[in-house]
Amino acid sequence: MTAGMAQSQGWVTRYFKAFCKGFFVAVPVAVTFLDRVACVARVEGASMQPSLNPGGSQSSDVVLLNHWKVRNFEVQRGDIVSLVSPKNPEQKIIKRVIALEGDIVKTIGHKNRYVKVPRGHIWVEGDHHGHSFDSNSFGPVSLGLLHAHATHILWPPERWQKLESVLPPERLPVQSEKESLHGSP
Amino acid sequence: MVIAGIPETLDVIFLFSRGPWWQSLHRTMLRGILGKTFRLVGYTIQYACIAHCAFEYVGGVVMCSGPSMEPTIQNSDIVCAENLSRHFYGIQRGDIVIAKSPSDPKSNICKRVIGLEGDKILTSRPSDFFKSHNYVPTGHVWLEGDNLQNSTDSRYYGPVPYGLIRGRIFFKIWPLSDFGFLRDSPNGHRSPGD
Repeated sequence: MTAGMAQSQGWVTRYFKAFCKGFFVAVPVAVTFLDRVACVARVEGASMQPSLNPGGSQSSDVVLLNHWKVRNFEVQRGDIVSLVSPKNPEQKIIKRVIALEGDIVKTIGHKNRYVKVPRGHIWVEGDHHGHSFDSNSFGPVSLGLLHAHATHILWPPERWQKLESVLPPERLPVQSEKESLHGSP
Repeated sequence: MVIAGIPETLDVIFLFSRGPWWQSLHRTMLRGILGKTFRLVGYTIQYACIAHCAFEYVGGVVMCSGPSMEPTIQNSDIVCAENLSRHFYGIQRGDIVIAKSPSDPKSNICKRVIGLEGDKILTSRPSDFFKSHNYVPTGHVWLEGDNLQNSTDSRYYGPVPYGLIRGRIFFKIWPLSDFGFLRDSPNGHRSPGD
């Protein structure tokens, strides 16, 4: 009887120790992965229609957010990125990069007609102009607020696709300082 | 079988990915240099992840450079920063914070919070005759260095979004002559209404 009890207590202690060891490895690794490499997020709202959420509130798209690509704050015009909202730090917003630092943009609905994007900032806009709270409302955003680059739509399965970095031709900057890697005019 | 850590996991994955022919080779090789390399890589990943979680969510030790926070923080002082206030939105007026620089996201700035969102900030110099005020927009803070003559801060680049704040500095550990909690601003309160 005592031998059996000692054996079961030994089993429980060993299991508990192994669980703790596993826990302290698995949690930091998982958290670091989700913070630094990639994570998944559901898109809400209509500001990026028709690229994201074309079905409105009926079916929200789920996108893959790639942190690793923006670890050096390198983005291209046309990328869909997620960033911390400058007006509400608890919220993340997802928009398209329209202009980089040094570009001059022709704004839609901003208080100034033309804006030069300052150093270390980017100009973001939602694809659904007029229904989007973006740089036309709050001006250029600092690159430090950049969160991740949205690369793929993962859900619903019929909308499984890679998100292209394409800039609508009517939103090309009026004047660019930095050359785009895609060689667009 | 209980998998306890990354080195052990890598061991097991390596073992099961090979057939029986490799197992005898595994017994000789894996116990040697290859095994030690895997274990080193495993432990490095493990401790790097723990370090990331500690610096991101708890806090860390920072060395400050530059004259913009004198006399509170001198050049090359070492201070402790904590990140809990930022995550729980507990940053207050008078706190010294570390933030990402608005014009260069790879570098950090260390300034004092003078105003929170909605505050009215005096932006004119004391020598100006006409005083000008600005309201801090929602989601932003107004940062100023303690050394007003020698600091580029919100007076130069405007209000800073709250999302750029990385942590709050609350304790100085070097030089030892100045060890302890940090003083209040030497410039008094800058928002009108005091």
